[in-house]
Amino acid sequence: MAVFQAALLNELEKLYKKKKVLVAILLSLAVIVIGQLVIVGVRSGFGLRGTGSVEFPMLVLSVVVNTILPLFTALVAIDSFSGEFTQNSMRITLTRPVSRFKIYTAKITAIVLFILGALLLLLVFSLLAGFIFNTNSATLDSLSRTVFSYFVSLLPLTVLALAIALLANIFKSGIAVFFVSILTFLALKVLGVLFSQYSSLFLTTQLDWYNLFLVNSFPMLKILRQFLIMLGSGIMLFTAGFYIFDKKEF
Amino acid sequence: MKFKKKSVMLVSFTVGTLLLATTALADIASKSGYDELKGAIKLTTEQASEKFDSFTLDYSMALKDNGKTLESSNETLKVDRTKDASENISSGLSANGDKRSSQSYSDKTTMIRVSESDPTYYVTEFTKERKDEAFNNPFKEEEAADIEKIVDAVVGSLKDHVVVTENPDGSKAITGSLTEVQIPSLVNAVASFQLKQEFNNQNNNQNNSKMPRLTKDVFVKEVKGSAKVNADGVMESILGTAVLSGKDEQGTVHEISLEALVKVMDINTTTVTKPDLTGKKVVKDIARYGDAEMSNPEKFVGKFKNDIIIEKDNKFIKVGERFVDITQIDGKSVTGRYYSEFKPEFEEYAASLSDFKFEAKFEQDQKTSANFEGTNDSGDKVRGHIYLSEYEGQVNFNIDNFNGSFGSGLMFNSSFSPVLD
Repeated sequence: MAVFQAALLNELEKLYKKKKVLVAILLSLAVIVIGQLVIVGVRSGFGLRGTGSVEFPMLVLSVVVNTILPLFTALVAIDSFSGEFTQNSMRITLTRPVSRFKIYTAKITAIVLFILGALLLLLVFSLLAGFIFNTNSATLDSLSRTVFSYFVSLLPLTVLALAIALLANIFKSGIAVFFVSILTFLALKVLGVLFSQYSSLFLTTQLDWYNLFLVNSFPMLKILRQFLIMLGSGIMLFTAGFYIFDKKEF
Repeated sequence: MKFKKKSVMLVSFTVGTLLLATTALADIASKSGYDELKGAIKLTTEQASEKFDSFTLDYSMALKDNGKTLESSNETLKVDRTKDASENISSGLSANGDKRSSQSYSDKTTMIRVSESDPTYYVTEFTKERKDEAFNNPFKEEEAADIEKIVDAVVGSLKDHVVVTENPDGSKAITGSLTEVQIPSLVNAVASFQLKQEFNNQNNNQNNSKMPRLTKDVFVKEVKGSAKVNADGVMESILGTAVLSGKDEQGTVHEISLEALVKVMDINTTTVTKPDLTGKKVVKDIARYGDAEMSNPEKFVGKFKNDIIIEKDNKFIKVGERFVDITQIDGKSVTGRYYSEFKPEFEEYAASLSDFKFEAKFEQDQKTSANFEGTNDSGDKVRGHIYLSEYEGQVNFNIDNFNGSFGSGLMFNSSFSPVLD
């Protein structure tokens, strides 16, 4: 465990040193500021309320979970694998007395922590903006549902990170991975609209699964099914990704 | 050790695959509440248009502002499919406080209307039996499947908000409710903008109405719905409520709620009765329209004219007449001549209007309208369209490539009335 901790710390530090984290933070804040400006504009311009204090974080989540969060997940995951493959710094990591399994897990964990950090940041700032600039519409129920929605979004994003890590291990070039991911993402989005009865199987639809937690009646079975689908695909992606990573020669 | 690692990987991959595959299958197979709702609506409309001999459809709607009724309406449609007859009773209260109520009856050969404000029975008798279906299944229309797909995509994740509870007797209750936090912000914004515009527009059109004018902080607060489905899968009632909240110019908060209830009742036990007209004031009318085939087209042989006028010294002055002279007509074609005559003092205008003979073949399934082509005196081709209106006793005669009517100041339209004296 100590070895794993060291590997994780190592990965986190590498992540932290990258400019991408800073860009991610700035972009997240920018989304909140722009979103709030749009809401204020809509309110004074069209006479609509736009959003209330709790709806604003939900609006932010619905936007970022389909745009900048997957984008940064992809960038960080690609950087963590393809970046190190091409710079040959992976060799340095591998020469340490840490098993490849632990390195792979540490890398994935670091990415997941990064996503969690981004979600928390977005949650805190959008709640702040929501309460400062919007009419209060919060109830304990809606507030807790909002906070919960942010946390459950971590799961589909983790599956996305695992999928991209697998791609990064298949293709050598980071750019290739990036384009394949984006094209697949868009294709799945379109397929989800065309075949809406199967859409719950697509990762792009699962990104919106936080909506299930907003339903009054709390559709337990549906949540469970979605959770198991994500769990199953997560396990598959992790195993496949690790298999290739384990077999790779550097 | 090597072997162990490989088998662990194999096992975990298999477990992942199985987990994914089984839940995926279960997920596809599971019928969501939304699907059940859709199924019930489809089944009900299908049965209503094909299977039930008779039924009663009751529709009522109310618009309330902070609980005070602004507008309401109630409609009861009784349909007897065996007789192809239907009866419609409607009543309502409009926003400016007017009450209205009316009743209508329709079967294959007659249509009767009467309203409370005017107790005269207006009876329309049809010359031919109508083949009108009393109730059409909207899901049988061509575009229905495409529209359904679009609706499915738009509804998207909101599908999960529909909940079904099954009762011991096999009937089902389908409910759904959305509060502001559950309605996606974009949907809410677009919907509330649309509603606000519609609401305020309606306001402008009606003076002294009780409708509040919403200007600020408009949003959709709540959308609720519930439906009852009986053991046969037929929907017995569906109730929908939407609440729009907003402030008027004085800053007072208004909660406008719209409630709509549709009930299907008395399946196979509804009787439609023709109103008893004895001793009532009756206005009769014989309908000819909707009759694509004319039984006696020869009545159109003869001259039809319309006036050409100009504006002069702030007055309209008649300068001449245009004529369509139909010389021959049968079920397939119509021939004739188009020309104009001017009063002697306005002869200078004559050059701007042409004079030609035409022959037109009727369109296949419409024996009253035809496109024609002719050659005028200066040798130019003239194309146009002729329509014989049996209902108005007129000929509509349009020339496509017509020039010179507006530039010269001549005014006329395309309806020609028969020259009878």
